[in-house]
Amino acid sequence: MYATADMLLTSTQAHAAEQSKEPVIEVMLVRAVLEGDRDSFGRLYDLYAPLVHGILLARVPRAEVADLVQDIFLHAFKKLHTLRDSAAFGPWIAMIARNRAVDFHRRSKETVEINDDLRGSDTHDSKAREILELIRSLPEAYRETLVLRLVEGMTGPEIAARTGLTAASVRVNLHRGMKLLREQLGVMEGL
Amino acid sequence: MNDDYLWDKTGQPDPEIQKLEEILGTLRYEPRPFVLPRRRNYFPLLAIAASILLAIIAGSIWLRVRSGDEVPRQEAKLESPTPKPLEAPQPPRTGSALNPPLHASNRIRKPRSAPSVVNDEEALAAKEQLMLALRITTEKLSLVHRKTQPNQIKNQHRIG
Repeated sequence: MYATADMLLTSTQAHAAEQSKEPVIEVMLVRAVLEGDRDSFGRLYDLYAPLVHGILLARVPRAEVADLVQDIFLHAFKKLHTLRDSAAFGPWIAMIARNRAVDFHRRSKETVEINDDLRGSDTHDSKAREILELIRSLPEAYRETLVLRLVEGMTGPEIAARTGLTAASVRVNLHRGMKLLREQLGVMEGL
Repeated sequence: MNDDYLWDKTGQPDPEIQKLEEILGTLRYEPRPFVLPRRRNYFPLLAIAASILLAIIAGSIWLRVRSGDEVPRQEAKLESPTPKPLEAPQPPRTGSALNPPLHASNRIRKPRSAPSVVNDEEALAAKEQLMLALRITTEKLSLVHRKTQPNQIKNQHRIG
């Protein structure tokens, strides 16, 4: 059920190089932006937009996600000077995205569900939205990790590196979340 | 359940997870260009504001100097006709031979000399004020210019 320590260690070592490269790029890009190179922020956006998109998709209606992604990066650009550790850009922007999702629900709770219901009904798309709704019904820790893995196509080590979560936490969240999702899907197919 | 495939997409693929990936992949992030708002260049606005301020200060000082010049002229015009009527009637009234002519001439000359000194001082003070205002404005303009100059140079460098 739980990932063993050996498995976690092996996976961490196997992806150590992959994980260590990104913060270096991050640090360089954040420093470049702080020195006035606005183009570098575009690269940070390219790197982290899928993460922010996934975090939002796990929390807010799909129709609102694209605009919120832009808002969050704009906010991040303005507040980048407040980021103390340049290597922590990923966890920092992930936290901004989570807070923005909370703000969104606080401000427009009633309009949220209506927007989703009014969307088009392409069969493949509707199936995707149904499964997404199931994922959204899962505990918060699992839904974000599952969306990043299944929707955004990120691997466990990538999720850990970008969100700042430990590899062990991500692995456990993926495993438990997937188990719960399978149960939910079984219930849905049984109906 | 294949943990490796769920974790890092290695090992034997799990058909159920693959199916979920395929369906949910339609909701994946679609790259959109991120457009940062254009940096506002405040230099032209500040330059215009400083120019207007300078013009107002210079105009007010010029008006003050000009009005200061005009006042003594009016006094001079008024003084010129007064001595003759004063000189004529006064001597007979006093009746003394010692006082009248000397006192009359003194009374007229004093007011003439006093305003000219005052005018000079006022003019000097106004000139100093004008110079000070011009200096302050120049300093402010150069400060604004200095603040905005590095950004422009950076932009030029990047474009080049």
